[in-house]
Amino acid sequence: MNELTILMHLLSEKINNVQIGATKEEIIKKLNLYGKNESVYFHNLITHLSSYIEPLGLQIRFNPLSSRWYIAFETTASEFVSANPFENKPRLAATIFCVLICCLKDMGRAKIQDIKEIRRKKHVIEDLKELEKLGYLELEEDLGIVSLTPLIGYQLDLNMLLVKLALKIKDQK
Amino acid sequence: MRSREDLTEEINKAMKEIQVKVLSGDFSMLDIELAPIFETLKKSITVRNIDNSSSIYNDAFQLLVQKYEELKTLINQLDRKESFFIFLKSKPEDSDILQLLEGCWIKTFDIQTLSFDFLTTSQEKLSIGHITQPPIKHLNKVETNQNFLLEVPKFKFSEKITNFFESIKDKLPCAFNEIFEEEKDQIKIYEQFVYILHLLQMGKIKYQKETKFLYL
Repeated sequence: MNELTILMHLLSEKINNVQIGATKEEIIKKLNLYGKNESVYFHNLITHLSSYIEPLGLQIRFNPLSSRWYIAFETTASEFVSANPFENKPRLAATIFCVLICCLKDMGRAKIQDIKEIRRKKHVIEDLKELEKLGYLELEEDLGIVSLTPLIGYQLDLNMLLVKLALKIKDQK
Repeated sequence: MRSREDLTEEINKAMKEIQVKVLSGDFSMLDIELAPIFETLKKSITVRNIDNSSSIYNDAFQLLVQKYEELKTLINQLDRKESFFIFLKSKPEDSDILQLLEGCWIKTFDIQTLSFDFLTTSQEKLSIGHITQPPIKHLNKVETNQNFLLEVPKFKFSEKITNFFESIKDKLPCAFNEIFEEEKDQIKIYEQFVYILHLLQMGKIKYQKETKFLYL
């Protein structure tokens, strides 16, 4: 068994319902990498595995919400295997988007009141509770606070979303 | 139909127009699609215009860098001013938000059963499937006057056996030793002995153990 096989295992491992893959530190420890060039070696391994799995329609991604590296289907393949977890629930998709934007402003946490004001819908609390059940967020109703779990960071390309959002705002101006 | 040289000129002209419009403030780089320029450039490259195409590619790449820098600046500005709320404050419909999310979804690849044991077994199974017998091919005969350390044999092995058989068949039946009595070169004797073993195996000649005679 070589390093790439171990790396493949670490990156595809589902830790719990909201966590997949491994952090850089975990990978370095499991592969017993040490010395001043460990980061270079780590990035080389990621690049090699990435080119190895590319023909299979897979790619290596980084979740900024959990700092974990993981494996996902390539974007075009994602469309093919219907990646949208809110396929028949557009209302929930819109609510999680609002939560995401609010949480980006405040280090992963947001006031429920802020979300209500932005979403301007009656069913916001209902939506938040359902999203909590699905594992996307944690609700602290008594404190009026909601915080994101890392799950949405695995299922949504946040970089691409922010770029699309930036261009949309530019067009609106 | 336009020639490839015409296409190169066309790209050059289009890029100059872009630069003028961007400098005059008519357009932002973010409003311009650069992909068609690179696509056309790819089609226009020939051996004859490679130098010119290379220079145009360099200019096109500079435009791409400029576009990327503008995008970075835009995102940084938005981030600083918390401007992402601008979109939400514009009261977007759910369908607008969904359109924005379209193409951003990722399907994760996570398999709980992908254990080390499973991988090892799979790897072994794959290895078994890949073992194949190497094909045996005769070397091609090459006419040359040069001397090489490893010379290509003039005849195939099967031809050599046949030639040897032709040379001895009139002597048969005869004693085993008689076959080699005229040959003094030990290597040749060994070679002929091997041919006899093959001929025996092929059933072309037979050997009587008691009399030590070879016969047809």
